[in-house]
Amino acid sequence: MSSNIRSLLEKLDEKKLHEIAKLKKINIPRNWSRTLIVELLALNASTQDIRNIGRKPLEKRIESRDFSAIIIKDLVKQFEDVTAVDSLNLEINQGELFSLLGPNGAGKTTTINILSGILKPTKGTAIIAGFDVTKNLEEIKKVIGVCPQEAAVFKFLNARENIELFGNIHGIPKKSLEERTDTFLELLGLAEASKRKAKDYSGGMLRKLNLIIALIGDPKIAFLDEPTVGMDPRARRKTWEFIRSLKDQNKTIILTTHYIEEAEALSDRVGIIDYGKLIELGTPKDLMEKHEAQNLEEVFLKITGRRILEGM
Amino acid sequence: MELKKLIRQPANLFLNLLFPAVLTLVFILTLADPELGMSVNLVVPGLIVYAVIFLIMTVAQSFSTERQEGLLKRLNTTPMTSGEFMGSRIITHMLIAILQVIIVFALAFVLGFRPDSGVEGIFLALPITAMFSLSSVGLGLITATISKTPEVATGISFVFILPQMFFGTFIPITSTTEQIAAFMPSYYLLDALELVFRGDWINAGILIDLGVISVVSIAIVAIGVVLFEKYGKA
Repeated sequence: MSSNIRSLLEKLDEKKLHEIAKLKKINIPRNWSRTLIVELLALNASTQDIRNIGRKPLEKRIESRDFSAIIIKDLVKQFEDVTAVDSLNLEINQGELFSLLGPNGAGKTTTINILSGILKPTKGTAIIAGFDVTKNLEEIKKVIGVCPQEAAVFKFLNARENIELFGNIHGIPKKSLEERTDTFLELLGLAEASKRKAKDYSGGMLRKLNLIIALIGDPKIAFLDEPTVGMDPRARRKTWEFIRSLKDQNKTIILTTHYIEEAEALSDRVGIIDYGKLIELGTPKDLMEKHEAQNLEEVFLKITGRRILEGM
Repeated sequence: MELKKLIRQPANLFLNLLFPAVLTLVFILTLADPELGMSVNLVVPGLIVYAVIFLIMTVAQSFSTERQEGLLKRLNTTPMTSGEFMGSRIITHMLIAILQVIIVFALAFVLGFRPDSGVEGIFLALPITAMFSLSSVGLGLITATISKTPEVATGISFVFILPQMFFGTFIPITSTTEQIAAFMPSYYLLDALELVFRGDWINAGILIDLGVISVVSIAIVAIGVVLFEKYGKA
């Protein structure tokens, strides 16, 4: 019975879920993850149950059920006298496409670097697919894929060789790896150039290859750090379609981008950070309504405009 | 992968395979003169050491290039452990060193190299040289750790290459320079190779040399790996 209700609830957006909770006269905090809300409504939880969950320490919540793909808890990263990430708290749901926006130097890449195990946090922690970044990095590396800002590929190898090298590192069986490689090369329009060495690729082609390498290991969670930088509009649209197709596979995607329209087109939710702090969080639609803006770019400029003015 | 890198990058191919070959040709054709008491057999041990110490530069360039291109960071986000990464790279560079030595032997043989030990000496020289190559890999890692770019790595690698080159390999050791040379692993490889090619296998000197080469090389590569893991990856 509850599984039928759950599947119905899963089709609803966060706003609708909160409306149902309101009708059922239960108060669910606004910042709780969508998956958790679905779960609570499906189980017909009472306000008291919700209070109990809220009182549980983070570790207990993770032990009892994996509600969120990523839980960032009081995360701090200090570089000498610069605080790149400042007490960041955030939950990202399984299957969600979440965009992290912010001006240059806001702390986006530092956050991704911590979540992907490249940097160690100064304080706080993050739980990725149930594993703590300060304790279980090896486990985390098995479930994530990272598309770095710079196109980090072996230039003397061709696209296929690069993809297969990283696929082998992830332990993908040979046949499945060949199929995935073919599919990805086709989807991103690199099939014809797949035997050309990466050193002969254009910037846009390198970006596409960079993205494929990040996803060849079939990660549950993908960190895409400005994946479409330097792509022409057509290539960018094609990449958007590709990213959307990942969402359909219930992958959790964390995207950073300077193209606000990209975040608006792709994201379920957006987080805007500045000076390492999360200053706004919500769906693009909610944020536009809240800030009475025509588009997300307006919201971004309204919130972070002072940084631009400071820079003038 | 390293083999593809070696073959597909002209600079790498030259430095790793053609350079030892050219050196062998040049040194044997210009230096070996039996009338002056310098036979091909005397030149070959120095050539082998010379080829392998240049591995310092290759390793330093390789790691610093991968760091500069963001590849080390990327590999760090995959399930491959540091041990697997370092282990595979160290073994690959040791194999490159063996390949270099085989090239030197082959060319030297064509030009008249006939060790008193026979072919057995050549086979014994390979594992001793492979062990020595570990020290070059270690020094290459240390160089990559302290260099910000591949270009700087090339320059800094000569800090480790030149002393080994001048104290015994390139210029014969005198009683004065021997005291300095004794602090360098290349001195022990040179001594071991000379004894091996002479066929003087029951000489305890070979074992002592091999012992020193093993201990020093393992220590240097361990220091290199630790330093690179801690400070060189980012």
